[in-house]
Amino acid sequence: MIEPIFVIFLLLFPLAAILGYLGAGSALTRKFVPYLLLVLLLSGLGFSAIAFVKGNALNLHYASHLPFATGFAVDRLTAFFLMVICAIAFPATLFSISYTEPHSRGYCRWYWCLLPLFIFSMVLVIVSSTVFVFMAGWELMTLLSGGLIAIEGASEDRRRGLFIYLAMMHFGAAAVFGAFLLFVPGAPSLTFEAIRATGHGLPPQVRTAIFLLAFAGFGAKAGIIPLHLWLPKAHPIAPSPVSALMSGVMLKTAVYGFVRFSFDFLAAPAPWWGYLALAAGAVSGVLGVLYALGEHDLKRLLAYHSVENIGIIYLGLGTSLVFLSHNAPIWATLALVAALLHTLNHALFKGLLFLGAGAIHHSTHTLDMEELGGLSRRMPMVSATFLVGCCAIAGLPLFNGFVSEWLTFRGFVAGAVFDGGSNELILPLMAGVLGLIGGLAAACFVKAYGISFLGRPHTPRAEQAYDAPRAMKLAVSLLAAACIVTGIFPGIVLRPLLALVGTIISGASAPPEITMISRGMPVISACVLGVIFLTFAVLRWKQIRRMVPTWACGLPELTPRMQYAAASFSKPIRQVFRSVYKPDRKVEVLPVDRPYFPEAISYHSVRTTSFERSLYRPAVDLLISAARGLRRLHTGNIQAYLLYIFFMLFSLLLYLRFSQ
Amino acid sequence: MGVVFEVAALKVLSSAAVLLFGTVLLMATARRISTCAYLFAFQSLVLAAEVASVAYIQHSREAYFVAAMVFAVKVIAIPYALLWLMRRLHTPHDVGASISPGHSVFVMAGVIFVSFWAVRLYLRELRATEVTLAAAVALILSAAFLIVTRNKALMQVIALLVLENGIFLAALVTIFGMPLIIEMGIVFDLLMGLLLMGIFVFRIRDTFDHLDVSRLRRLRG
Amino acid sequence: MRLAVNVAQLLILVLAAPALRGIIAKFKAHIQRRQGASIFRPYADVLKLFRKEDLAPPTASPIFRIAPVVVFATAVIAAAFIPVLSASSLLAARTDFFIFVYVLALGRFFISLGALDGGSSFGGMGASREALVSVLAEAPLLLALTSLAMLSKSLSLAEITRWTAGQNFFDLSPVHLLAFAALGIVAVAETGRLPVDNPTTQLELTMLHEAMVLEYSGPSLALIEWAQAIKLHVISALMIAMFLPWGLSTILTAGSLALALLLYCGKLLLLAGAIAVIESSLAKLRMYAVPDFLRVASALAILAVIFTVFIRK
Repeated sequence: MIEPIFVIFLLLFPLAAILGYLGAGSALTRKFVPYLLLVLLLSGLGFSAIAFVKGNALNLHYASHLPFATGFAVDRLTAFFLMVICAIAFPATLFSISYTEPHSRGYCRWYWCLLPLFIFSMVLVIVSSTVFVFMAGWELMTLLSGGLIAIEGASEDRRRGLFIYLAMMHFGAAAVFGAFLLFVPGAPSLTFEAIRATGHGLPPQVRTAIFLLAFAGFGAKAGIIPLHLWLPKAHPIAPSPVSALMSGVMLKTAVYGFVRFSFDFLAAPAPWWGYLALAAGAVSGVLGVLYALGEHDLKRLLAYHSVENIGIIYLGLGTSLVFLSHNAPIWATLALVAALLHTLNHALFKGLLFLGAGAIHHSTHTLDMEELGGLSRRMPMVSATFLVGCCAIAGLPLFNGFVSEWLTFRGFVAGAVFDGGSNELILPLMAGVLGLIGGLAAACFVKAYGISFLGRPHTPRAEQAYDAPRAMKLAVSLLAAACIVTGIFPGIVLRPLLALVGTIISGASAPPEITMISRGMPVISACVLGVIFLTFAVLRWKQIRRMVPTWACGLPELTPRMQYAAASFSKPIRQVFRSVYKPDRKVEVLPVDRPYFPEAISYHSVRTTSFERSLYRPAVDLLISAARGLRRLHTGNIQAYLLYIFFMLFSLLLYLRFSQ
Repeated sequence: MGVVFEVAALKVLSSAAVLLFGTVLLMATARRISTCAYLFAFQSLVLAAEVASVAYIQHSREAYFVAAMVFAVKVIAIPYALLWLMRRLHTPHDVGASISPGHSVFVMAGVIFVSFWAVRLYLRELRATEVTLAAAVALILSAAFLIVTRNKALMQVIALLVLENGIFLAALVTIFGMPLIIEMGIVFDLLMGLLLMGIFVFRIRDTFDHLDVSRLRRLRG
Repeated sequence: MRLAVNVAQLLILVLAAPALRGIIAKFKAHIQRRQGASIFRPYADVLKLFRKEDLAPPTASPIFRIAPVVVFATAVIAAAFIPVLSASSLLAARTDFFIFVYVLALGRFFISLGALDGGSSFGGMGASREALVSVLAEAPLLLALTSLAMLSKSLSLAEITRWTAGQNFFDLSPVHLLAFAALGIVAVAETGRLPVDNPTTQLELTMLHEAMVLEYSGPSLALIEWAQAIKLHVISALMIAMFLPWGLSTILTAGSLALALLLYCGKLLLLAGAIAVIESSLAKLRMYAVPDFLRVASALAILAVIFTVFIRK
């Protein structure tokens, strides 16, 4: 009974896309398509939430009259990720309704065609149970998001960013496809069922190769350093709701893929797998947030923070793999719950932050923090919800980011503290890395929120900002409410997550931390909120307050330029970590021959991240020189080509002769 | 009464290593040569206390003599000589670090970790001995690090003294001290070396007008 | 009975906090051969501020109103974690020290935002410097407490205290010395005392924490000052609980509780004296020398964790 409904659910996405393309002209379909999509996503959310909590909606749909094996399956892990997709896509679609208003008809047509398809492709990746559907969805994700980026405009750096995005995603897809293909000898039908069955029996070298390919491929999509280059280039140039979807959901499909591969297909991991993931997670976490501190474009800052949070997720995944290989399933469960919870939390608060940035862009047409300021008075609702997002991503208690960071921390130290026998040094030291990441993230978001929303507006554009439209406000409020509710009552999500992880990692009892935080967090929240309300109640009689201008050291007035800008706020931290940044600085004094009487001084500072200079440029140059070398094979002479063919035949003969 | 001394002696032996690790770390972060001289004096004090505790436990009068010698020479005489040298030379106090003190601390933490790891292969039964042997190796390695990364001539001298401290401690821990005559020989050797170095430092300063070792490159062909 | 004791602990930590500040100021005054103000002077200051008018700059947003209350609330809740008289506390049951550290971080986040809300240069300066110090102090804090947790096989502050109280003082391992040194440095950074920050300075360019609260007045400022005092008391109590917990009452009778209170006051006086001596003998570090100071703490904390594994073998 459920199966036809599921197929209809899947097919309604392309239908919405077609309607969106055809009906952009008439206002009726222009209104109708978004609402259709909203209803679709809401039902998807409900369906997947029920499947996630109850865990019994396990349907398998297999259609064998197509040339490639096509099938869909929904188990608990799928339901969880489907829930994440729908939970973020719903506010993003709501946001898009207001977002597309000021744009042209052609833009709206393409937007409402590509957006449902983009969401559909992500759903395809999650619910697939065969390799064909998975890879189709995977490639479609890239193409469709690329399309959505392309409709925004065609400037030079936008095109370059799009090119880098497509190239790196293609590399990632090739690696993932390679990983799947290595299963072919054991599972020629290329369905997930068959792959799962043969995963154990493969020889260790093949398992290593599969793991490395999957790690590279999914890491490129997720944005692990050093494969993260596309993230800060692609996210800022996409439309805001699409950035929210890309950062909140698309990166999570890569996490889904990695979890499927390492925990499901290739069960019984080797120890170094976990350490590799831990190393990647630690480097991504620290470097991601350090690069974010140097940014003053709001969207690029949020993109780097996605790198950091993916790093935290990989820290949890790596810890889980390490514990699995050491045969400690309880702590592996704990770490995996932490990682999965952080994927949900990150989707929620990153979606919230990107939508908030989109609202800012809608009102002020700029995303440069140096030009914003004082927005909390012009856009109160957006300001309040953005604050919730900032507190959540900084990992502060009472918000959801804290719960997953706490669980990750417990995962690190649990083995060392409670088991006692393990000689594990790296995991407790990772607690320090997590502390560093958390401190840097908090500092960065004090900067982001404080400079953009507080103080005085820096430019007239920020002064004349108008409040966001109702749909945008509703979208961000929904996400903010979700952040707060899952922060204060984490048990809502944790208990089903525990059951989910129980299906992946077998043979473990529930770690005590789950009940600890499920019961403890509401208590602490109640205490803090209680003291806050008590204090406000006691001081209520002091509510009358005068407005007195800030002391300006004797000057008549403080100008907006006297405030701290984003670059100045992060300067001390950037100074301390200057070996990471290594900016190119050039100061030119004109005229050159009379330096003591300058007429003009120009200061030029380029902050290319070191990876672009030291890793990508040499790699690309190597590739190009290799290609040039290969060009020498193309002599243009027919006899040379015939020689190649005969040479191939000859070597095949030799090979057949000697391989008997 | 004797029990108190016994307990104190054992406590000194087991916590001395930690104090030595502390001096290793602090010497890495020091920015002035005088700070290093005081740290060296403290290090030698800890060593003298250790020798005295060993002497008490083993009831050997020789060891008391060695402890007194270490105290007199390494805690009082040599640091005083170093500080006197610095005052007479009027050198800048800066340590001349090629790896900044802030980052040297992490290198030292790594050195301590490596010394523990290396010592594990030669485990003894007593826990205290393992920690102390690791402290000795850490002193030697940190002295090597200081010689390489500190550019002033006086810092090289102090690093050599720290190296000698490390060897002394290693000998103390593994074979409970070298024979008295050898100890005295080593101490006089040190004094001679310091005397020579004291003379040479003046000559270097008069010839080159600085004491920065990284700038003494006239030996190049 | 246990609940009453825990509530009493919370009240002691919150209400006696200004007195601790007064005692440290008195010690410093005596070292400087002055008489110094009475040790109850901070109480008078707070009460005076509560009666004054609450002013706000025109750029202020709701953050400006909320920040002092949040700082105060988080300081009070953090105080509920620390065992003072017995090896238990109000919130010890379902929590660990990670939550404790992050509750304090919540307060710091909001006060930094409140600083930026004033729209002046000094607020931004204070917030930016405080961000630098807190970034570098968080890792050693967590690592040092982790090493102690690994020794005592529990992550709850009360349990660590109980385990340490059960140990012989002369058996303290090197881990304790290293963790004590690391936590000492971090405590100085977190509470904003010399040599990281001078709490009594009047020059804005030398301020870290004070620069963040320049715009506050009246009851808001009273709450912030009180919260700062509570934070100092809480971190001092944390140091005492982690490293000098002997004398805690285990049987909860009036006599043993009174003895525990007396011993706690003695230890606190000792700690206050040490703080006063350190503050009188050291100058404030240059801003970019503070990271080096905190790097030493990080290295010590890393070593503490490493030693835990080596000692256990």
